[in-house]
Amino acid sequence: MIKSLEGKQKTRKKPLRLEPIIFHTINYILLAVLCIVMLYPMLNQLAISFNDGLDAVRGGIRIFPRVPTLENYRVVFATHTMFNAFLMSVYRTIVTVVLNIVITSMLAYVLSRPEFVFRKFITIVFVLTMYFDPGLIPNFILIQSLGLMNSFHVYWIPNLIAAFNLIIIRTYIRGIPESFIESARLDGAGDFRIYWQVIMPLCKPTLATIALFVAVGSWNAWFDNFLFNAARQDLSVLQFELMRLLAAATGVGAAGQGQAGQAAAAGLGVAQVSPLTIRAAVTIVAAVPILCVYPFLQRYFVHGVQLGGVKG
Amino acid sequence: MQRTLLLMSIPFLLYRLLFSYVPLIGWAIAFQDFRPRIGVTPLQSLRTNEFIGLDNFRVLLDTDTVLGARFVQSIINTFGQALLTQIVGFICAIVLSLMLNEVRQNGIKKVIQNILYLPHFLSWVIVASLASVALALPASGGIINEFLLWTRIISEPIHFLANPSYFWGIVAGTHLWRNLGWNTIIYLAAMTAVDPSLYEAASIDGASRYRKMWHITLSSIKPTIVILMIMNVGWLLTSGFEIQWFLGHGVNIPRSENIDIFIFRYGIQMGNFGLATASGILRTGISITLLSIVNFIAGRLGSEKLF
Amino acid sequence: MKNLFLVSALFMFVFAFAACGRNEDAPPQQSSENLILSPDNPVEISMLIVTNQVEPAPNNRMAALMAERLGVTINYEIVTPEMQAERLSVLIAGGGVGLPDILATTEIEPRLTEAGAKLRLDDFLDSGRWPNIYEHIAPYRRRLSWTGGDASPGFYTIPNYNRFYGDPPILGGTHFGSGFFIQKRVLEWHDFPDLTDMTLERYFQLIEEFLIANPYTPEGLPHIGFTFPAFPGREWGMTNPPMFLAGHPNNGGVLVHDGIATIYADTEYSRRYFQFLNEMFNRNSEFPGHVVLVDPEAATQSQDMYFANIASGRVLGMHDQRWGFSTPHDSLIAAGQFDRTFVATMPTFDGRAPWYADRDVLNIHQGFAISSTVSQERAELLLTFIDTILSEEWQILLSWGEEGIDYHVGADGIFYRTPQQRLDYDNTTWQQNNRLMAFFDTMPKRQGTLSCGNAFAPGDQPLEFMESLSDYHRWFLEQYNKYTWRDFVNDPPPNPVYYPAWQISVGAGTPANIASSELEAAALIHLPQIIMAGPHDFDALWAAYVEHIGRIDVAAFENAMTAGIQERIALWGQ
Repeated sequence: MIKSLEGKQKTRKKPLRLEPIIFHTINYILLAVLCIVMLYPMLNQLAISFNDGLDAVRGGIRIFPRVPTLENYRVVFATHTMFNAFLMSVYRTIVTVVLNIVITSMLAYVLSRPEFVFRKFITIVFVLTMYFDPGLIPNFILIQSLGLMNSFHVYWIPNLIAAFNLIIIRTYIRGIPESFIESARLDGAGDFRIYWQVIMPLCKPTLATIALFVAVGSWNAWFDNFLFNAARQDLSVLQFELMRLLAAATGVGAAGQGQAGQAAAAGLGVAQVSPLTIRAAVTIVAAVPILCVYPFLQRYFVHGVQLGGVKG
Repeated sequence: MQRTLLLMSIPFLLYRLLFSYVPLIGWAIAFQDFRPRIGVTPLQSLRTNEFIGLDNFRVLLDTDTVLGARFVQSIINTFGQALLTQIVGFICAIVLSLMLNEVRQNGIKKVIQNILYLPHFLSWVIVASLASVALALPASGGIINEFLLWTRIISEPIHFLANPSYFWGIVAGTHLWRNLGWNTIIYLAAMTAVDPSLYEAASIDGASRYRKMWHITLSSIKPTIVILMIMNVGWLLTSGFEIQWFLGHGVNIPRSENIDIFIFRYGIQMGNFGLATASGILRTGISITLLSIVNFIAGRLGSEKLF
Repeated sequence: MKNLFLVSALFMFVFAFAACGRNEDAPPQQSSENLILSPDNPVEISMLIVTNQVEPAPNNRMAALMAERLGVTINYEIVTPEMQAERLSVLIAGGGVGLPDILATTEIEPRLTEAGAKLRLDDFLDSGRWPNIYEHIAPYRRRLSWTGGDASPGFYTIPNYNRFYGDPPILGGTHFGSGFFIQKRVLEWHDFPDLTDMTLERYFQLIEEFLIANPYTPEGLPHIGFTFPAFPGREWGMTNPPMFLAGHPNNGGVLVHDGIATIYADTEYSRRYFQFLNEMFNRNSEFPGHVVLVDPEAATQSQDMYFANIASGRVLGMHDQRWGFSTPHDSLIAAGQFDRTFVATMPTFDGRAPWYADRDVLNIHQGFAISSTVSQERAELLLTFIDTILSEEWQILLSWGEEGIDYHVGADGIFYRTPQQRLDYDNTTWQQNNRLMAFFDTMPKRQGTLSCGNAFAPGDQPLEFMESLSDYHRWFLEQYNKYTWRDFVNDPPPNPVYYPAWQISVGAGTPANIASSELEAAALIHLPQIIMAGPHDFDALWAAYVEHIGRIDVAAFENAMTAGIQERIALWGQ
């Protein structure tokens, strides 16, 4: 096999030197195109968010504002609801991330111990939850019955452990040489101390990655806000406010044949900043903070995620 | 020793049971005439509601009625959207990982990776909003149409949102855009675990770049691929919410409405809790069945298994 | 054992939080036995308001005035109309957790009443302790009383719009209802053609001829000849025209003959309209580039896109109700592009008399209601608050503003505004700081004429209307020999007793309700395809639509509507 391969290589000696150049050029071009595809929509929103509202409605803005203004951002931050929602998003994200990291890694350690008798049972209970969804209505009733409605706690209590993250951390812990654990045990450390003082620090890369997973999920969540906390404006998160802007803009939902009433109402209000630019500004505000967290955690990525079998 | 381990895990086991398994009591709603009222908590009405047997399921599965036909179509749509999303997502993420793995200059690689990861940080609400603009006709700023016209791939603008047949593709496309870069992380991580001496040995043997990609790089991530594939089978009845919700207009409802939207529309919007819960039960049932079958087959074939 | 302790501590911590979540269920309600609203006795009132308006700024002048004079602070939950179905469902499903003091909804399907969320007010009002509210509803008591199932019959909701005072009441100069709207520039180009006895053919001819001569706007944007809204909640932009073309007033999805309701979606009127629209659509190919006679994106456009197109001046005509495009209309005004705004025309089939404009209909099941979970004392306090708001003093404060600051009073007692005051009044940022827009939208109003002879709203005051017209608009009106925009539409005959049928609730979850939503879904799925069909595909697609309708339980819907009409005739007929 190798022999025949070698033969082929030899006959194509010339193109071989050219091949890496062609390959890398094409590779880079494709990657560059991909980068543009990924960036353009955001740059476009950025440009629109810095553009005058009435002018933006005329369309045709690409990646530079045509009539630059800071007015949209001023409006967004002047509405105290937006500012409050921003703080609430930060708050819920931090609480969720910290608790997730501690609890998930602890559980992952336990489930990585081969001597633990319930290892397999608990693993299956958790893995099943990835698929076994009781459904929208039963979940709603549970949250309501636990008294979590209209409270901040609904943002983090139902989201403490994700099975997928659990598996990733467990896989990582299994990769840690057993000798670390054994030497700690010889020093008289119990399982909790081993987890806390030995495993946790060693897991830094994977925990950083999981922290980011959780942070992204928490920052971007809006459905829990909508379902459980819509009555509390002070608990509104940024994505929910954005969703409301979007829903108002696209008219999503069933308003029915609501034809009267609004007739007279229409005569009384005038919007001068177009929803287009405001929405773009809120989009940017909702996207930028989480993008800022990312570079700090980014360097851990490549080593942080390994997926092993779920099997106990 | 077992005791400490138990103490470190039992509370969370209970927590999981409470949040994922206790709500199953709520499945009783599917068999009831559930009328929410002010002053009656859902738990109370769960106890006092009249049982109506399998009526809700009968209505859902009777394709002769407009409602039943709609429900079955929503299952087909969910399945179609999810399958397309997963296949496209899988192939593209693996190809992209291989491409990135070939980039040798670390600085450039970092920059490219960071740009590719970027969309994943955007919420689905934002992605839906961006997509609605991008998919419009060129006169309304639809950049995709503008591009296709400019490159002369098409001569007439395509009306993506008014033609139901594009919708599954739109779902797959938006998922791809948001998650492509991100999904490479897990593969790239597996690729770095490959012993460099393998590549060296192959080079000495004169293996071409593509051969090395195929035999060394790809095979190194095979276990990851298999596990992810099995895991994803369980999500074949989940195809997202926001894209279908924000871009699903009347015209494309025959292809856009998935189970989540169906449940939301009938349960939350119209207030028919029994019907919505019954739909949820059917969905969970199908998911678990699919997953078990695939897991069983995987076991038979001797490859990695989920359980 | 330290580890043990830590674990259990963590667990306790988790559930301690869960436990205190329980305490936060409902914000504690202040109980107040004293019924006099005064700053010495501050009260907080929580409200759920369904509106497109936003919450006032924290330092809002009118909110401060309310706290200063009445001791009342309002805590808002604002729900947009698009979100109300979901929000109200969730509220009801929660069994009443977090129900606010006052429910200010614009729901058409009276879900809250049916679920027992509203307090029946008859006994309170009959006590005579709240004269303003009593006066507000007394003439229409029967009409406003709830008679459906599930909740006991009686009066629940104090209406927000179209309870007119004065004889005759002052009405504004703008027609906010339905029409086939056409850009003023098109009419100017045609040298102000006669708009009476309008037909669909002539309406499109006016637009098409202009379009051939002017395919692009002065800024170079391609024109859109005709469009309509069809996004959720506004589907009737697409579906209502056959009803108007047939010479009927707006009864929603049905035509009413002798008190009998029938749907028109599958009738000859519908076929004629959509076939004509389809023919017009097929002329799109005769125009260059992106110039179109019938907008191919009409049925799929979002409200944003619809507004953006109108605001850019590209749209030459549309079927809508005037309030539906107020936002882009106002941007056009703000940009000084008066000739790009619209007037209503009223095409009909076969020379029928148009009935686009109707007499303003009193809203029912919309406005302020008191939550059924409040105590007796609390309910009395809330009624006192609403009664105070219905006093002329507060009506003027909330509508016109403060004398000397927001308006002036002439020697003859007539209210007037300076140009700056007019500008402020329409400025959203100013509104947030100086007016209670969300509250105002849903509160009961003394529309028409105030006892001092002024109009309720500044925009309705005849002098104010004339003063606020631009020179172009004044000139435009002169060309047609008219004084207001209302003069362009038909003089509405008296409304039939049951009118409008679209207000009739067929009950959530009933077969009629399901049929109604299925009819709507069928229209949304089929009509866009029908409009955009190729010249030879129309008949097949139309047949598919009719076949789809045939599978729906239309009779259930029609019978429920007819029953509702008959009930209204029986109850309100006297």
